[in-house]
Amino acid sequence: MTTTLDRQDIQGLVTRGYSTLPRAGFLVFAITQPTAARAALGRLARRVTNGLSEPSDTAVNLAFTSDGLRRLGLETPELGGFPYEFVSGMTAPDRSRFLGDVGENAPRYWRWGGPATPPVHVLVMLYARDEQRLHRLEEETRQGALAGGALAETIRLGTAELTGHEPFGFRDGISQPLVEGLSKAEGLSKAAAAGAGGGGEGDQVVRAGEFVLGYPNEYGLLTDRPLLPSRYDPDGLLPRTPQGAADFGRNGSYLVFRQLRQDVEAFWGYLDAQTRRPDGSSDPAARDALAARMVGRWSGGAPLVHAPRQDDPALATDNDFGYFATDPDGLRCPLGAHIRRANPRDSLDPRPGSAESVSIGRRHRLLRRGRPYGPDGSGDGTGARGLHFIGLNANISRQFEFIQHTWLNDPDFNGLHDAPDPLVGPRQDNRSTFTEQGRPVRTRHLALPQFVTVRGGAYFFLPGLRALHWLCTAAPEGGQQ
Amino acid sequence: MPYQLAVTVRASVPAARVAEVQELLREAGRKGTAGELFPFAEVESIHFARVVLIPEAPGGTDAAMPASVVYMAEVDGPLEAHLRDLVRKAGDGLGRVFGLCDGYPAGGSPGSSERAQIAWLRSHGTSCAAYYVNTAGRGRQQIDQEARLREAIEEFLDRNGPALAGASPAGVRAAIQEHVKGRADLAWARARPAPPPLGWRVRQAVHLVGVPLAALALLPLLVAALPVWAVLLRLHERRDVPDPARPSHDHVRELADCEDFVAQNPFTAVGSVKAGRFRRATLTAVLFVVDYGVRHVFNRGNLAGVRTIHFARWVFIDGRRRMIFASNYDGSLESYMDDFIDKVAWGLNAVFSNGQGYPRVRWLVLDGAKDELAFKNYLRCHQVPTQVWYSAYDTWTLRDLNTNARIRAGLFGPLGPAETEAWLALL
Ligand code: HEM
Repeated sequence: MTTTLDRQDIQGLVTRGYSTLPRAGFLVFAITQPTAARAALGRLARRVTNGLSEPSDTAVNLAFTSDGLRRLGLETPELGGFPYEFVSGMTAPDRSRFLGDVGENAPRYWRWGGPATPPVHVLVMLYARDEQRLHRLEEETRQGALAGGALAETIRLGTAELTGHEPFGFRDGISQPLVEGLSKAEGLSKAAAAGAGGGGEGDQVVRAGEFVLGYPNEYGLLTDRPLLPSRYDPDGLLPRTPQGAADFGRNGSYLVFRQLRQDVEAFWGYLDAQTRRPDGSSDPAARDALAARMVGRWSGGAPLVHAPRQDDPALATDNDFGYFATDPDGLRCPLGAHIRRANPRDSLDPRPGSAESVSIGRRHRLLRRGRPYGPDGSGDGTGARGLHFIGLNANISRQFEFIQHTWLNDPDFNGLHDAPDPLVGPRQDNRSTFTEQGRPVRTRHLALPQFVTVRGGAYFFLPGLRALHWLCTAAPEGGQQ
Repeated sequence: MPYQLAVTVRASVPAARVAEVQELLREAGRKGTAGELFPFAEVESIHFARVVLIPEAPGGTDAAMPASVVYMAEVDGPLEAHLRDLVRKAGDGLGRVFGLCDGYPAGGSPGSSERAQIAWLRSHGTSCAAYYVNTAGRGRQQIDQEARLREAIEEFLDRNGPALAGASPAGVRAAIQEHVKGRADLAWARARPAPPPLGWRVRQAVHLVGVPLAALALLPLLVAALPVWAVLLRLHERRDVPDPARPSHDHVRELADCEDFVAQNPFTAVGSVKAGRFRRATLTAVLFVVDYGVRHVFNRGNLAGVRTIHFARWVFIDGRRRMIFASNYDGSLESYMDDFIDKVAWGLNAVFSNGQGYPRVRWLVLDGAKDELAFKNYLRCHQVPTQVWYSAYDTWTLRDLNTNARIRAGLFGPLGPAETEAWLALL
């Protein structure tokens, strides 16, 4: 059984990362006048790119925080059907603790989305083929949105041209879960059905309901989603559930946005210091190798599991591997490497190497849609570089938050101790280490500095197009003032 | 090597004082770990300890199911020594909270004699219907020592890494042995940990054989009863009404306020047993089997595939009309619940399907927890905030503790080449 996705109703960002549109800018708005804002957003909604089209010029997507939805008039108690994490928001104290947004990462220091900065209600994501088109798109969007004072611009988040490499210099965007019902997944799902096992490509076809609400997830169930009494939708704009409720959630997804500043100098500086020769001179080859071991791939993209000694251009986008059979002890790709944590593939309990292990992993996947920014200053001050990390999932708690807390930030991940993610983990003390497993014994790098700092973020809902239309035209009047 | 006891002391609170207890616990638990009011860190026998308020049964008015204050701790035996130390070090705090309960000696004034307090705690003790210990016999002292041993070896390797890079595995191990031998503070590492006391081992052995023997004797009876029980079970299961409630966001926030401060988390939940004798009897029988299983089968670090639970207990209260489940586990609640669903759904179903509102179960073990969100909602709805909670080793997960123990076990004594490599890989 395969699921057919209603791609016409799903926002385009779910089905593609717009790699043919290398320019992007994100506008964050606060709603000042709900009624006028609905009209303005309604006009913008007509331009929103759906999951069927293959935009070659520009693309627009729209997402809302829980506060934004409320202000637009979605007034069910506790926003019933939306999960706790989304409704309380990314900066609730319990979420901050959970995500490691403490110390330097604390929301009170954020550029946007924190308690000290203007409200975040609407995220407008703009993509274009070139700078000129992006500029025009942005101006049009601004004019439409700001006309009549309906919305106020909280911040503009610029991005760097998409080159396929993130600011530390590594190829990014290689490994993505393949979503059931989207074209590339189709051929591979056969391989998975044939019981490929081992954590390779075929195992990565993930049920559509892990990313899009209203479809069966990896448990074969529908993830909780906001359903409204049908009287909220007298005109029948929203799809109906078999029980007759108006389905506001269907074809929607949760969009996790985190602005992550990358301290590129500190990163390479630390690596350089750790790999000096006995005479004190730099050893570029050793430095690059240590960097690769922290990531789990070489800067060109080749995975260490298949290319343990040096980068290999032929393997630049290789994603067909597991860890258990080739490298159970981390001798090729260290147990604490970023990609080995972010997606442990076939190394999860209770039986690493088994199909069961891989299927447990499939419940913790993310569609990554991030864009790099900097150093031109449009991102976070002159010289600052980083990643606008964007992840899509259907269950924030089981997917994004789980990966962040239980895999990336956990100092005890995978049998390690005092070892959070070497690349992106927060460090609250001087204890963080990175271990390269080896023979006869491991090499441990001590006092790992923090290389990535959170500068902003929020949990958004990326509604289906009909839901978007309903929200901007037919949601009950009189959102919170 | 001591054995680990589950201590449960429970006393009911008059309805008029519930708010006061809540306030006191909130105050005491402010920083997420038990601090000044309950200085559990000074009580050396404690692995984990908590003080919680168990609310009265939903619906209120039933005098037989009142609100209560419960002290629960996992401690190195014997009990007497623990209570004495507890009253000495944390007597004031316990006096204040239990002083709000019915009948605490001298109204909880700090002057009430130690002996009276101990006697009162004892008389309010409740036994567990089932009690799981991840690794039976591993005491506090052993855990602390093995953690220090690992740290000492890791530091030695950090300092001497380059010098040892060319050595053979056996050579590296010999160097580590030399280093440890040279440290008087690690002298204990040369011996194996002592086994638990003989008396305890004898009782375990008697239980191990005694229960199957008794079952064998009752076998004809059990076989005859089984079909009847199965029919009754299905009849009950068909009539069950799962509770579709989602936890309120305020409730989740209150729970989350007590979670995710250190490597482990506490879980405390309470629920009503489904009405009628059949469910009560079934649950009693299931927990009897669970208790046997965790004592003799799953007592080596692995609860049917779940390796992240330090301790867990099931305690009947209110004349077996309600049950408390309490545990200490590594990681987050989300990962804990996912483990439940992915690995031991059958076991949870067998126990909790006898509780009101649980997702629909067939044949005692099927479905139930497999309904992911219904199950997670059920757990959250029944969970109570664990405001006062203490962990004696809050940066060490079970995986760590097991690694530490294996490092110690393999440090001295003969190892083959492959074993030596495997041992070095632990570091
Ligand atoms: C500035 C911060 C980050 C940087 C520089 C970074 C960098 C990278 C790189 C270079 C890769 C390998 C390329 C690829 O497989 O596509 C990767 C993979 C990945 N990252 Fe990150 N990352 C960052 C933050 C995060 C965060 C916060 C998460 C999740 C919470 C995350 C989740 C993942 C996942 C799931 C993969 C794919 C792993 C696989 O399937 O093998 N990353 N990242």
